[in-house]
Amino acid sequence: MLVRTFFCTRLGVHIAASVLTLALVIGTASAQTLSVGIEIPSQLDPAFASADSEILILSNVYDYLVEIDASNDVQPGLATSWSVSEDGRTWTFELRDDVTYHSGAAFGPDDVVATFDRLREPDSGLPTADVYADVTSVEASGPAQVTFTLSEPNPFFLYDLSDNHAVIVDADATDLGTTFDGTGPFRVASYNAEDRMSLEANADHFGGAPGVEQVDLIFFAEQAAAVSALRGGQIDLVLRMPTPLYQSLEGARGIERISVPTNAFDLLRLRVDRAPGNDPRVVEALKLAVDRASIVEVVTDGLAAQGSDTPIGPLYGAYYRQDVTPPARDVERARELLAEAGYEDGLELVLNVPDSGDRPDLAVVLKEQLDEAGFDIEVRLQPESVYYGDGGWLEVDFGITGWGSRPVPQFYFETMIACDAVWNEAHYCDPEVDALIETAGSTLDDDERAEAYAELQRILANDGPYVIPYFFPQFAALADTFTGMELKAFPGRTDLATITVR
Amino acid sequence: MTTPGGGGAATAAPPAQPAPLAGARHLLGELYARPTSAIGTTLVALFVAMALIGPWLAPYGPTEQILSDRSQAPGAAHWFGTDRLGRDVFSRVVTGARDIFLLAGGGTAVAVAIGTVAGLVTSTLGGWWEEITFRLFDTLLAMPALLLALLLLGTLGPSRSSVLWVIAVAYTPIVARVVRSVVLSVKTREWVAAARMQGETLPWILTREILPSVLPALAVEAALRFSYAIFLVASLGFLGVGVQPPNPDWGLMVAEARDYVYLTPWSLIFPAAAISLLVVSVNLAADGLGRALRTEGR
Repeated sequence: MLVRTFFCTRLGVHIAASVLTLALVIGTASAQTLSVGIEIPSQLDPAFASADSEILILSNVYDYLVEIDASNDVQPGLATSWSVSEDGRTWTFELRDDVTYHSGAAFGPDDVVATFDRLREPDSGLPTADVYADVTSVEASGPAQVTFTLSEPNPFFLYDLSDNHAVIVDADATDLGTTFDGTGPFRVASYNAEDRMSLEANADHFGGAPGVEQVDLIFFAEQAAAVSALRGGQIDLVLRMPTPLYQSLEGARGIERISVPTNAFDLLRLRVDRAPGNDPRVVEALKLAVDRASIVEVVTDGLAAQGSDTPIGPLYGAYYRQDVTPPARDVERARELLAEAGYEDGLELVLNVPDSGDRPDLAVVLKEQLDEAGFDIEVRLQPESVYYGDGGWLEVDFGITGWGSRPVPQFYFETMIACDAVWNEAHYCDPEVDALIETAGSTLDDDERAEAYAELQRILANDGPYVIPYFFPQFAALADTFTGMELKAFPGRTDLATITVR
Repeated sequence: MTTPGGGGAATAAPPAQPAPLAGARHLLGELYARPTSAIGTTLVALFVAMALIGPWLAPYGPTEQILSDRSQAPGAAHWFGTDRLGRDVFSRVVTGARDIFLLAGGGTAVAVAIGTVAGLVTSTLGGWWEEITFRLFDTLLAMPALLLALLLLGTLGPSRSSVLWVIAVAYTPIVARVVRSVVLSVKTREWVAAARMQGETLPWILTREILPSVLPALAVEAALRFSYAIFLVASLGFLGVGVQPPNPDWGLMVAEARDYVYLTPWSLIFPAAAISLLVVSVNLAADGLGRALRTEGR
């Protein structure tokens, strides 16, 4: 009976919340208002924000120094132009001189200095301290100019500057988590934590007035609830949803489904610094046991792009090598290799899986394929926050991890694959690979970098302890009374100002 | 309301000891005397049969992925349809019955065994033993069963045997309290006092004089606990901390199918219906059992 009470209460709360949300939504809807269903933001200080919903608010209320567009090209933001010195270590940015914050205060180079000094403070423990570890100084070098000095050349510096956290804040701002004085296309009109946030258009924005006068961000605890609200016409836009919800919207009246390919991927990896992963035959058997095409078909319903066990996907254009593929599936050979390695009776492994996205499905399909090839897999699902939260994911022998989309591939190599990478979950370490990563991350010669990446792809596809079966797309849905949205691979970076009433 | 159905039967008089076969026949007669308990008992019997012969009944393996038949609606080839991984929902529901009986039934059996012994011995002895044991049980009872289960599973790690032990821990105190309530009313009765005066040993008094009075209440309690255990196993599976995929656990199947409710509703409806139907029928049967045992006691 206690059990039943628990569920009744929970259900009651959900129903009450839904009714409340519905009432509020109907109360304020108008043609010039775009209502967006997002997850509940919990941390809105730019230095700490990380979830899509949080970044969505920041990127629309504030501006970045430079922007990355949907095709991964760098575009002007608060900086209109930039130049880099011959040695690649001094970057100079010309800033807009006619920009004001929503409060009326003027924007200037001191704000840029203050923003990046805060984010790169080594003792702050901020995730960005690592990103900007190569920045030795940020200085206001003119009335509308800032200069960054680096300790070594960084070909991806512009992408680092457009890191999700790096929105430019007023140097005098206090209480960044609760007051939002940005320069962006929208200003915060009202904010009720855990309920909604109302944004109104900033007609003076340097990018031009936004397409709608008002944006209501309605907070939903579950994406399924947001999609139901979209179906019912109570909201106009949902920026992210799992595959089945996207599929369920097929043919839904008045709703346009939008998907963009991304470089986000699910990764299966085996820890190689101890048994059984330290035997190369086991790694080879693992790679031979997997049928990647079938996984794409079954797990993602054919909507994802097939991967080749490397983090460089088709989106990276020139860096991506289509001709590099992992060995084709060979169940017999995998069995032989496992037998040679001493596991003729089956290699027992616990597969650790965060319970989000398509990962549970991926685990079940992988178990079928691997068991067929002489493995004996036990699937263990864990809540995503628990799995990543306590560092357990870096300890386990065998696991699935979801990696988000990044505009440049270097991120994955430096944080996941290099010997000293912070998130080296496979505990992989290969000096040759490390040298290639170093080359790719420091050379200013793009051909040399492409060659390093090509070699990295060859090594990882054949011998890396990773299986990357697919790069999954990002799904959104917009009421067809609106148009003009450009969904980004990281949906939180989508610019709501481009959306207009149809 | 933590001891449903307990108190009523507790006043049972001196142990009646009819011939076992006649007793069973009488019990069945009583169970089938009312339509509700008759339906409940029949359905429970069907589910038990499903648990026993399920794997032979299932046309496909419960984890077999038929890639050509993904997301099929119910039809001749797949009576309950297939899920998005091409697994036959009928085969999974039928095979999953055994797990739920093993886990819920096993957990309940352990809880009844430990709870009965603890309740009988400490209540008869009285004094400090009783105080300590039942204050300890009260502590456990202060927590909702599901919360306690989540806590324990978080510590033990999810596995079949953990689920079984979690049910045992969650329900032992409840069973012990039901037993205690009967013992307290019985232990001062004249036939117990007489046995004491005859110099009978404690085990003899417990098993011959007191236990028979406890049995009717205990049987009903066990049946009710079983129905809650089913619900608890399903809840844990649904929350993803119980039985792990790809096992055909009903609660887990409902959780997995949740996002697919628009696409393959059958993969959600059938396991959910199986859980509801089993819980309701066990409850109906338990109700009938309580009624039957009360009339028998009269």
